[in-house]
Amino acid sequence: MTEHLFRQESGKLVSVLTGIFGADRLQMAEDVVQEALIRAMQTWPYQGIPKNPAAWLMQTAKNMALDIVRREKRFHEKQPEIIAEVEEGAGAGGGSPMLEGEIKDDRLRLMFTCCHPLIPPDAQAALALKTLCGLGTTEIAAAFLSTEAAIAKRLTRARQRIQEQKIPFEIPSGPELASRLDGVRQTLLLLFNEGYKASSGESLVREDICAEAIRLTTLLAEHPAGNQPPTHALLALMLLNGARLPARVDSDGNILRLKEQDRTLWNREMIVRGIMHLGRSAAGDELSEYHLHAGIAACHDTAADDASTDWRQILALYDRLAEMDDSPVIALNRAVAVANVHGPAKGLKAVKAISGRSELSSYYLLYAVLGEFEAQLGNDLVAASHFHRAAQLAELKSEQAFLAQRLVECEGRLRSQPPAARGHL
Amino acid sequence: MNTTSEKSDYLLLFRGADWHRGLSPDEIQKTMTVWMAWFNRLIEEGRCKGGQSLGPDSKVISGKAKNVVDGPYAEAKESVAGYFLLTVSSLEEAAEIAKECPTLGYGTTVEVRPLLARCAASEMAAKPAVVHA
Repeated sequence: MTEHLFRQESGKLVSVLTGIFGADRLQMAEDVVQEALIRAMQTWPYQGIPKNPAAWLMQTAKNMALDIVRREKRFHEKQPEIIAEVEEGAGAGGGSPMLEGEIKDDRLRLMFTCCHPLIPPDAQAALALKTLCGLGTTEIAAAFLSTEAAIAKRLTRARQRIQEQKIPFEIPSGPELASRLDGVRQTLLLLFNEGYKASSGESLVREDICAEAIRLTTLLAEHPAGNQPPTHALLALMLLNGARLPARVDSDGNILRLKEQDRTLWNREMIVRGIMHLGRSAAGDELSEYHLHAGIAACHDTAADDASTDWRQILALYDRLAEMDDSPVIALNRAVAVANVHGPAKGLKAVKAISGRSELSSYYLLYAVLGEFEAQLGNDLVAASHFHRAAQLAELKSEQAFLAQRLVECEGRLRSQPPAARGHL
Repeated sequence: MNTTSEKSDYLLLFRGADWHRGLSPDEIQKTMTVWMAWFNRLIEEGRCKGGQSLGPDSKVISGKAKNVVDGPYAEAKESVAGYFLLTVSSLEEAAEIAKECPTLGYGTTVEVRPLLARCAASEMAAKPAVVHA
């Protein structure tokens, strides 16, 4: 039995049962799936693991669902239809290609339901993790640095919204598809970033979130409804950035910068897949932000070592990204590319030129970047004050430790220099 | 009388079928794996003869009128969810095994009860009087 079998099957089962009960009864589908997993837990230790565990779970969940359909008045009208559908599936047996296709359709329908624009974005992401990815409330809370109660509330509100707004369980078609696909992709990216931004050893579940985001995006990219260049670009972005995760921290949990990372730890298979999807994203003439982000990640991933990184290409990509997205975070990242191409002084200038820089005033990376540039220029006193500020603002212990280390380095250099040589404020 | 072994039979009764509600699929799978390993080890050691889990549905028959009530009879927390049949040397050894139950942390309670193979009086009657030398 594979490690996350129950989690993965749970996502499929909730999708299939939501197809039976309807989106307004999402909670019912989730509860039945929970029951089916519990049934497995209570019987498998005695009977042994069935030959096809996934098919066992599917059939058990469907039988339980059928009991409810027979019992509940609200299903009377649809009853013969549902029963026929469930029994047809039973005849086909587990793992049949037809059944697999139907499961994929159901999963995509649920993806569109969870990522409906009438549900707030953070609730969309939480609901997708709970229903499509089979994560528990505790695990989602850990990933979002939130409490279990807050996540439970968010999930309840999302389910209520589905009921009140009669959000359908369907893959949109026609002109609606394009805008709804955009929404789905944004939520998937949010999910990935949530896992990526702090997967530095604080909590294992965060790397799992990245993996789940990749799994869902793969599903979307492989489905006729979602098989479009921006989806492939999004998937490439996730794979190419996710590939470096194993090298991001050392054995003590300290964050490593790109130049310090052991590149042999980068996941080759993910890089190859990422480059492949980047290629497929080039079909058509649409250039999305996903394309540019994926392109930047590809530059890093394909460099043999830090010194041969093609920073000019990265800067060119950031230039285009900045045209499309005026977020100060993008501008800050662009400044790093500027410094790598034209030197730290130009980098500093680029940071100072960021419009809307005040939005970054409590963002630890702003000070980390400034500290880095000042240190490169030999202004260790100024650099130290930036690193100090950054460490105060950083939320994660691993980030704080990283910045404290930079601070120690600055102070070490300051002690070994005569006062006159210290940088000017 | 059983003369080949001093071991006797005990039942471990597991109660608390409601402890699982908040568990994630991952946790359910892990718990199951641990439970399975525990059960298999006890079987291999020859200390457990078997076990089973009990379904939630039940019928309860009582009284002269043979009243039938459809279950579940007890509160989920109190109803027996499963059992192990142990063959061990003492109630204490059985209790030690019960302490290894992997779901104690999730609200399961385990009751250990000796199985009386024969009525105690008939067993005594069957015994020859022993004179301690």
